[in-house]
Amino acid sequence: MNSTPTLLNRVLLTLLGLKLLAVGALLVLLATVPAVADWWHSWSAAAWSAASQAFDATRFPGRPESWLWIVVALVLLVVVGLMVAWIAQQGKGRSNLLVAEEDPGDVPGDVRIGGGVAEQALKQALAGRPDLASASVTTYDIKGTPALKIRLLPRQGVAPHLLAEEVAGLVDALEAVVGRKTPVLIHIGAGARTRFGRAERVR
Amino acid sequence: MSSSVETRTGGNRSPGGRHNNGRHPDLARIVRRETHSSRAAVAIAAAVLVMVLAGYGLLEAAVHAIGQPPWLIEPQVAAEQLTALPAGISPLLLGAIGAVLAMLGLIFFLNGIAPGRRARHTLAGAWHEAGRPAVVIDDEVIASSLARRARLAANVMPEQVMVVVSQRQVMVNVRPTSGVPVDGDALLAAVQDELDQMALDPQPAARINVAPSGVVGA
Repeated sequence: MNSTPTLLNRVLLTLLGLKLLAVGALLVLLATVPAVADWWHSWSAAAWSAASQAFDATRFPGRPESWLWIVVALVLLVVVGLMVAWIAQQGKGRSNLLVAEEDPGDVPGDVRIGGGVAEQALKQALAGRPDLASASVTTYDIKGTPALKIRLLPRQGVAPHLLAEEVAGLVDALEAVVGRKTPVLIHIGAGARTRFGRAERVR
Repeated sequence: MSSSVETRTGGNRSPGGRHNNGRHPDLARIVRRETHSSRAAVAIAAAVLVMVLAGYGLLEAAVHAIGQPPWLIEPQVAAEQLTALPAGISPLLLGAIGAVLAMLGLIFFLNGIAPGRRARHTLAGAWHEAGRPAVVIDDEVIASSLARRARLAANVMPEQVMVVVSQRQVMVNVRPTSGVPVDGDALLAAVQDELDQMALDPQPAARINVAPSGVVGA
């Protein structure tokens, strides 16, 4: 429901996983197979001499340090920044507007209805029900259109399709009041409170 | 006032081309995202791991660039030790480090390519009509609802029924009360009736397993 970048997550996880797998396999082979160790010596010695030549060629005039280290530090800084940006993308997408439209009438101005209207109204309507351990309503922004997520935690033994039917009736009533249809997701879940709480006996 | 509201919702109910397969395209996407894992937790763990490694490298590179003594190890010394591997470290330790890294990589890799379906079903049938909400139900809720129905049909205590719901199968395990036989066919019919009323997607097949030994004193 939120705008977590699932495809990006999967691509980056696959790349990182493959890299770690390759490094780990190389270390295991180095420890166990002597032929791999010979190959590693020749390959890594060549690579290291090329790298140290690059560092020698880029010294500051008159000083022993190479400015390549500053470049390395900057690149690593960018990597850290990208990782922070990646983490910040997870679980985004909450919004607090249910309706935002231009008013076609004579009075100039826009009409905006906050998500709190739907959240409070539905929460209030669901609050007294004995078959629910808890209910929460959140407004999300799905590619520019507002959408509602209704999360219900029913007690044990409640028939989920009947519960969904009743909540859909409440949603219809809300949409009649707001005057606009919004995509709605009803998630009927289970949690610690429903697992260890008392069972519903009325239905 | 109420009549104007009625006409407005009536007009919005059948916009025609906006609905794909009877359902809002956004809603189909939302349902797909709700029934599959987003990999957010593993992604955060991977990002933190890369950040820690890059942060350490950043520190050493910066310290080296301004000509200060290194914090833990001089980068050049570290590189020379790396080229000299497997010398300078016990093969057991090197193999263990490699195995741990490979295991971590395998976890990330499998998280990246596995389908990641969550234990949830959606409601199909009349719920696919235009303008209706999408419903996603945890398998645990379905199991507890079926367990209630099976318990009433078999006339046993709640502890004697265990229901396991998976993607395409529902397994109902019943331990009858000693001396009171349980009619497996009637039980299956009751569970199947409840499943048909739910109209789950994907539709699981119901199976009943009545234990050969009964429970005494239930």
